[in-house]
Amino acid sequence: MYNSDHLRKTFIIIPAFNEKAVIGRVVDDLLPLGCRIVVVDDGSPEELRPQVARHNEVFYIRHKVNLGQGAALQTGIDFALKQGASWFVTFDADGQHSVEDIPAILTPLFMEQADIVLASRFLTKGSHNAPVIKQLILKAGRWVNYIFTGLYLSDAHNGLRAMNRIAANTIRITENRMAHATEIVAQIKKHKLRYREIGANVLYTPYSKNKGQSSLNSLKIFFDLVLQKLFG
Amino acid sequence: MNGIQIVLITAVILVAIYFFVRLHNSILDFLLLLAMVTAALVFIFLPDITNSIAHKLGVGRGADLVFYLSIVIFWFVIIKLYIRIRKLEKIITDVMRKDALNEAGQQKTSQS
Repeated sequence: MYNSDHLRKTFIIIPAFNEKAVIGRVVDDLLPLGCRIVVVDDGSPEELRPQVARHNEVFYIRHKVNLGQGAALQTGIDFALKQGASWFVTFDADGQHSVEDIPAILTPLFMEQADIVLASRFLTKGSHNAPVIKQLILKAGRWVNYIFTGLYLSDAHNGLRAMNRIAANTIRITENRMAHATEIVAQIKKHKLRYREIGANVLYTPYSKNKGQSSLNSLKIFFDLVLQKLFG
Repeated sequence: MNGIQIVLITAVILVAIYFFVRLHNSILDFLLLLAMVTAALVFIFLPDITNSIAHKLGVGRGADLVFYLSIVIFWFVIIKLYIRIRKLEKIITDVMRKDALNEAGQQKTSQS
């Protein structure tokens, strides 16, 4: 189905802001896959270089100021494109995704059945340890996404995605902050990219719950989307 | 002249001076500001004018009319500022991204 050559041409992009405590372990867990890893330090007050630069396979890019996760993702994608990557994975720095899910979301790309694969925590059986409020907000998020993008997806804001070069070249993230997740979906629809959703677990550790987006943040995303829609 | 007129006129004149000092290169800005300041001074000196305009428009008092208009104007200004901020944000992002990518490229060549 795929071989190590495929994985060598796959770049895993990890946007990170203040993830000093876990980023090292996240990178260590990813290394055995044999993919290239790009850590985009989004202007953390304390540089993350010591935590990630232990290995040659790991690229470290740093924004001098904090711009937001969307901006960090785009920088990572630009970098991987320049390096000649064939496939791209986006992965959250807080360790909430499982490494084992990466081959599964890459497979449809390797088989050329899709241009972009989005992970969904709602398409797995064992995923419902999400806090109740979080589940409600994510369900509301589906509809918000649908209204803004025209695509109804089961998981509105999942940081785990994979795409091929066509998608990476086509999608341009201009929403610097969290609304980029919706923006990506909108561009999938607009450019008629072939997409697929695949179940992947999200681990709600105390750390990721604490670090992840607060429920209030979803309101901020909503306003970002409305303003963007109204005034470009 | 009563108290509030003195306060308002002083404020308008100070704001006007401040802007005239800073905007000496754009004729259009200068004229626009001049018109606005003149209008403000006229309405402060002769509040009855606003009252009669208000009555014609079906608003009870001149002060209310001014209040409604200011809401609309502020709304407009906020939108303009928002667009401006988005533009600036985009410029900053582009510059920062370019810089980050350049640095990453250099780091790679110095390693090999």
